[in-house]
Amino acid sequence: MKYIAVPIIFFFLLMLQGSISFHQITPNLTVLLACYAGIKGREMKGMFYGALIGIVEDSLSGAFLGPHLLSKSLVGYLSSLIYSRFFIWTPYLGILSIALLTFLDGSLVFLMRGIFDKMPAGAGAASLVILAQSLINAPVGIFLKPKDLHQNI
Amino acid sequence: MPKKWLLLILLAVLLLSLSVMTYQSNRLHLLPLKSLHAVLDRLYDAKTSLKDSLSAPFRRMLIRESENIRLREELAQMLQKEQAYHEAIQENKRLRALLALKEHDPRHVTAARVIGRGTDFWSKTVVLDKGLSDGIQKDMIAITERGIAGKISDVFNSYSHLLLINDINFSAAARLQESRIEGILSGTGSRRCMLKYIPHEDEVKEGEVLITSGLDTLFPQGIPLGYVLKVNKKEAGFFQDIEVIPFVEDTHLEIVVIITKG
Repeated sequence: MKYIAVPIIFFFLLMLQGSISFHQITPNLTVLLACYAGIKGREMKGMFYGALIGIVEDSLSGAFLGPHLLSKSLVGYLSSLIYSRFFIWTPYLGILSIALLTFLDGSLVFLMRGIFDKMPAGAGAASLVILAQSLINAPVGIFLKPKDLHQNI
Repeated sequence: MPKKWLLLILLAVLLLSLSVMTYQSNRLHLLPLKSLHAVLDRLYDAKTSLKDSLSAPFRRMLIRESENIRLREELAQMLQKEQAYHEAIQENKRLRALLALKEHDPRHVTAARVIGRGTDFWSKTVVLDKGLSDGIQKDMIAITERGIAGKISDVFNSYSHLLLINDINFSAAARLQESRIEGILSGTGSRRCMLKYIPHEDEVKEGEVLITSGLDTLFPQGIPLGYVLKVNKKEAGFFQDIEVIPFVEDTHLEIVVIITKG
C-alpha cells in the first residue's frame, strides 16, 4: 500500500507545485516528501527516496539532469541524520529543520544550475524565492515527527 | 547499515549527480572535467577502431566480390556490344561493296540475303530471301564484290534457290584473263571447280585469273570466277585437267546482288 501511496503523493505534490504560486513564487513541495522519507525512515531510506524523487523531478523539468538528484538525496540523508544523531525532535526544531532543509535544497539546485548550466535567476531574486519556499514549508515540520521519537529520547 | 557505508553511498550519489551535471555542462571552466568524457570517447573510439580493423578486410572482400561480379557483367555486355559493332562494320563494308556493284552495273535487279542452306546434302545451293515478287527470275546471276556466286535455279513468290558456282550442275563459259584461252568452268561439288576443254598446247599458268567470256549468253562478260590452282597435263587425255578455286566461297556467302542474265 505504501509503495503505491508514495508515488501517488509524489505526483500529486508535483502537480500541485506546478499549478499554484504565491506572488509568482512556486512552492517546493517535493522536498517535503524527501524529508518525510528521511525522518520516518533511516538515512539510507531517505537518501534512496530523495534520489528517486530528485531524478524524476529532474527528468520532468526537462532542462538539466542532476541538481535535484543531488539536493534531494542530500536532504533525504540529512533529514534523517539530524534527528538520529544531533537533535531531539520538538515542534520548533521541526519547523526550523524543514525550513533549513528546504533552503538547502533550493540553494543547492540554484548553485548547481549556476555552476553547470546557466544562472536561472539573479542571486537576490533566487534568495527571496528560496526563503519564501522555506517559510511555506516550515509549518509542515510540526507534523513530521520521527517514527522512533521515544526511543531517541 | 554501518555509518561508513552510508557515507560512501551518499558520496557515490553526490559524485554521480556531479558527473551527470558535468557531462551535460558546456561551461568553459568545467572543461577539465570533460577529460572523463574524453577518456570515454577514446575508449569508444578504440572499440570502434578495433571492430572496424577486424571487420574491414571481410567487408573489403565482399565489396571486391560484388564489384568483380558487376565488372564481369559489364565486360560481357561490352564484349557483346563490341561484337555487334564489329558485325555492323563488316556489314557496312559488304553493303558498300554491293552498292558500288549496283551503281556500276545497269543490269542490277535487287540485293538478296542468304537465309538458309539447301536441304540436299549433295547439292551446293542456298536459299535467298527474295523471289518473284522482287523481280527475280530463273537463270538470273548472283554476284558479290568478289565475282560470280551462282545462278538462280528455282524461284518462288517470296524466296528463291541459288545454285552455287561449285555445284556439280553449274557450268559457265570462261576465259583466262591474261592468256585469253577459253573453256568451260564446271562445279565439282567440292570446294574446287574444273576448267574444261583446254587443249594441251595452250599454256595455262597457275594463279591466272578466270573470268566469264559471255559466250554462253547466260553470264555477262568479264565477271571474275576464280583463279587457277593447279594444271595437270599428264593424266588427262585430250584436254588439260585444270583446277580452279572460285573467288566466292559458299561458306562465307551472306548477301548477293542479282543481275539479269547476259
